[in-house]
Amino acid sequence: MSCSVHDCVDFEMRGIPAVFVASSTFVDAAAAQSRALGLPEVARVFVPHPIQDATDDEMRAKAEAAFAAVVAALVGSGS
Amino acid sequence: MPTTLLDPTDERTPLGRTLAARRGRLTGTVALLDIRKPRGDVFLDRLEQLVRERLPGVTIERHAKPTFTKPAPEDLRAEIAARCTAVIEALAD
Amino acid sequence: MSDGAAATLPALELETLQGEKVALRDPAAAARLIVVYKHDCETCQTVLPVIERVSRAFHGKKLLTLGVSQSDADATLDTINEHGLCFPQALDADLALSFALELEVVPVVLLATPGGDVIARSDALDLPQLTGVLTNAARLSGVDERVVRRALAAFELPAFRPGCASRTLDPGVQRARTATQGAAKLQARRWLVGDDQDVVETLFERGLTDGLPVVPPTEERVLRMLEGTTRDPQDVVAVVPPNLTPATVEKVAINAVMAGCKPEYLPVVLAAVEAACTDEFNMHGVLATTYFAAPLIVVNGPVRARIGMNSGINVFGQGNRANATIGRALNLVVRNVGGGRPGEVDRATLGQPGKYTYCIAENEEASPWPALHVERGFAPGDSTVTLFAAEAPRAIVDQTSRSARGLATSLGLAMRSVMHPRAYGLGDVVLVLAPEHVETLKRDGWSKDDLRRHIQEVTTKPLAELLADDECREGLPAALAKGADPATVRLAKFRKPDAIHVVVAGGPAGKFAAVIGGWVPGPMGSTMVTRKIDERDAPAA
Repeated sequence: MSCSVHDCVDFEMRGIPAVFVASSTFVDAAAAQSRALGLPEVARVFVPHPIQDATDDEMRAKAEAAFAAVVAALVGSGS
Repeated sequence: MPTTLLDPTDERTPLGRTLAARRGRLTGTVALLDIRKPRGDVFLDRLEQLVRERLPGVTIERHAKPTFTKPAPEDLRAEIAARCTAVIEALAD
Repeated sequence: MSDGAAATLPALELETLQGEKVALRDPAAAARLIVVYKHDCETCQTVLPVIERVSRAFHGKKLLTLGVSQSDADATLDTINEHGLCFPQALDADLALSFALELEVVPVVLLATPGGDVIARSDALDLPQLTGVLTNAARLSGVDERVVRRALAAFELPAFRPGCASRTLDPGVQRARTATQGAAKLQARRWLVGDDQDVVETLFERGLTDGLPVVPPTEERVLRMLEGTTRDPQDVVAVVPPNLTPATVEKVAINAVMAGCKPEYLPVVLAAVEAACTDEFNMHGVLATTYFAAPLIVVNGPVRARIGMNSGINVFGQGNRANATIGRALNLVVRNVGGGRPGEVDRATLGQPGKYTYCIAENEEASPWPALHVERGFAPGDSTVTLFAAEAPRAIVDQTSRSARGLATSLGLAMRSVMHPRAYGLGDVVLVLAPEHVETLKRDGWSKDDLRRHIQEVTTKPLAELLADDECREGLPAALAKGADPATVRLAKFRKPDAIHVVVAGGPAGKFAAVIGGWVPGPMGSTMVTRKIDERDAPAA
């Protein structure tokens, strides 16, 4: 997960809006890593754990549930 | 540990790293970057479908990191940055 | 210190290593017998088994025995294992309990009511006191006090053994605590520099430096800087041009840290910022002009010695931290707070090195005359800063004059060329005399006024010699003669003798002086400004 934070911070520094998706177990770690890189606001969307055990249908459902937040993170929801 | 500094200026502009500007809508090409953890491809496939259905003006490019254990290689980041207007990286587990 | 009756336990909740939460004050719960200790204290190691033994007698009897360790989890667990401690142990996180009780020594054994009132206390190993605490505890819990006395006797304790210093007294601990409390009061916006970034480089990249590296303004450094003044950090010192931003004491302190100042320099920096931002000094004009002007700071009074300023050898040069950083701090404030940067509002054609830093102390001790600040209306014992919109110092060499008159003539001849040999009726100028020249003037009993008058005489010339001509178009217009013969119209170089400000500075050897031209005087330009350094600003030494 921390590599995703690195990647997204790097894209933001290049002027490219970025968002990473991670399982909900990484909420605190993501906050710590983004702070450590000096960009606490780096965009992230969390999906419910577990991932590895999920069926394909469950994975697709997670994608549908996360879609709006992912797009908002990239366009600026204004909220 | 990041270093916390105090702002010596009149605070009209931010000093630290800041997010790239958000343009209010997605246009051009969006990169879907697979970190290559198992099951992430199913997630990204569905995201790609949803973008095609709901954001018709947007083109999708699929990319993948060689490994999820390191940040993306420099040339991959440069390639994506040159070709795409936004990035979605998934799925960290 | 063993005035236990006066103390109350703070309303803290501690968590035992077994994961149980214990409120120090809980009227519904049992009384508390608390031992505060640290693992690397021999006396603590002696007392802990005693508490373990008696705690078994008190177990379940309306008395909670609790160990509170100032050490970390690992060290505490080792101590528990070593002595086979069964009574609950908690860590004193952030030393909150130890600070609240103002502990100086460990171990401390306390007996407190459920409401938190400390009714008995024993410090270090004081057998009579310890016996008192434990027999009190026995009485509270309905245990026969002979049980306690027999248990104590079995340990064969000495009547007294000193304890160890409480961890709250460790210098590092004190500093960290003050820092956390103090940091909360700082109001400047924070920004994070990621640990993948070089902090010094980031400060350069953000345009916050004058081209030289700056000291990163961390919370700890800024708090330490603020100890240099008793003023409230949120006091507004001045409104800084060109953007007319109000600068608080805190903002000035941040830039003073970056400049490399010590806390004791802060009052001087504050006075300089205040003086520079007055309408009369016109810092906006000084900054925006294409001219060479930089704010020269001349410091007078007792502050010079107190903070170790240089008024002697190489006074305009490098090497003295106070001189170097005070001048620099003012320029960083103008740059960072006021927004005045080269290429933007700052349009100086050539500039000069003094725009990095330009700050000296007058060598009052080598001067037989009233110092600069005294001439300007202050008491000799006042500490002041005088700001002058200044060019770079220009060398005047006279290594042969033996008389005051001869030297004064040299100085005048050299000063004819300030700005341009044909520029006349100038405003303020600063003449810096080094001690050897001062001695020459003093020997013949000359005062500053004698010197000024003579310089005016020497530099007074007929208009005819100052006119612009075909060869050199710089010069005075013929119309100034107003119909009279230009050879008969005599003009003084400086608008009045008082415009020549004489300052003594420099090392004891060297027959040199320096003239420092100024910018345009008056409302369109800049006027010399002197400010007293605020009495509040020097905390009692």
